[in-house]
Amino acid sequence: MRELVLTQPGRVLVGPSERESESCRSHGEFEERLAECGPLAFRVAYGVLRNAADAEDVAQEALLKAYRNFGRLREPARFRGWLVRIAFRMALDRWRSAKRREKRETQWEPTKQRSSEPTVEELAVSSEFQERLERAMEELPEKFRLVLLLAAIEGYTLEEVSGMLGIPMGTVKSRLFFARKQLAEKLR
Amino acid sequence: MSCEGYRDKLVDALASGESWLAADVAMHLRACAECKRFYEAQVHLFGAIDSRVRAMVNETVPASLLPRVRARIEEVRAPRLVWRPAWGVVAIAAMILVVSLGFVRRSGSLRDAGLTKAPTAVAIRTETVPFMAMPRKAASAAVNPRRRPGNKTEMRIDRPREVPEVIVLGEEREAFVRFVARISVDPQRAVALTRPAPPQRDLPVEIALLQIEKLKVNLLEPTAEE
Repeated sequence: MRELVLTQPGRVLVGPSERESESCRSHGEFEERLAECGPLAFRVAYGVLRNAADAEDVAQEALLKAYRNFGRLREPARFRGWLVRIAFRMALDRWRSAKRREKRETQWEPTKQRSSEPTVEELAVSSEFQERLERAMEELPEKFRLVLLLAAIEGYTLEEVSGMLGIPMGTVKSRLFFARKQLAEKLR
Repeated sequence: MSCEGYRDKLVDALASGESWLAADVAMHLRACAECKRFYEAQVHLFGAIDSRVRAMVNETVPASLLPRVRARIEEVRAPRLVWRPAWGVVAIAAMILVVSLGFVRRSGSLRDAGLTKAPTAVAIRTETVPFMAMPRKAASAAVNPRRRPGNKTEMRIDRPREVPEVIVLGEEREAFVRFVARISVDPQRAVALTRPAPPQRDLPVEIALLQIEKLKVNLLEPTAEE
């Protein structure tokens, strides 16, 4: 005699053992992605924070968060983009709180005055250029900034960035164009 | 087109990463030294931006990153594996906790309502004294009107409304039953017992010397150590 089981439409009955094996399977799948995506999360975080220790902490937290919610991810193919966004957002949050702290601590310090404006060539080789570039990047809109960082990571083409973020190739190109143009305007 | 227009085109071409220039722009560059200098400076600037941004994001990944992440993941996984088979125990513990909390709260509400002093507060009629202890849940429902009487956890008792109900503490229940039984035998004593005792007045303390006659005082004998 066949056993009849009442279930809700569209719902699959999952027993404890099945849930256990599902958890193990998702753990295994996450582990497979970890080796590739861990460095990516770190680099995105580093691009925002420019501090290896902070970037490592953020990457770690982002990966842990991704692990906890891995089961809820509908399309595993989107994992990289998802992780990148988590890492980017967490890094921005940390950067903002650090900035607020820094502002509180240094608000009474006098600002340095420049003697003369340097040329573009002089600027490009100086450490001041780095500071100005970082400041200019911080002022970029988040979506431009993320594309700029991802496109600069070694081994990632614009097609891959497009696939990672789930946006059309034309959008990637235009965001990159505006990001670079805005940076150049601020550094000129 | 003015030099300004050509410069905008130059910047756009560099920002989009194109490696070639439109024919008219290239021709203008050959003719205009100022724009040529501007173009060279922009090539330098965009090159510097690209190389700095690349250096910024291609930082060496610390070797400790993945082991640390794996360790954290194991930390997250471990409690889950330990707790899964113990859900039954957790559920039972939670149930016991809820029941005990309910009991504590009920005692508190009874105390607040002054109902715990039932033996002294109750008016006793000697003719109709059949005692009927209410179940705890029903007592709680009587005290707390927000509790729904239809709650499945409550024990329902059908009782006639004319029967007097008395709420007593659990530990005093037996004594109260005995007290009620005594009422029928000796109603006057029972009524007297329910009256509060008169307050005691402090009497003045008298201090007198104590004289003991024929008191003999003997010294203690020294021990070997002394």
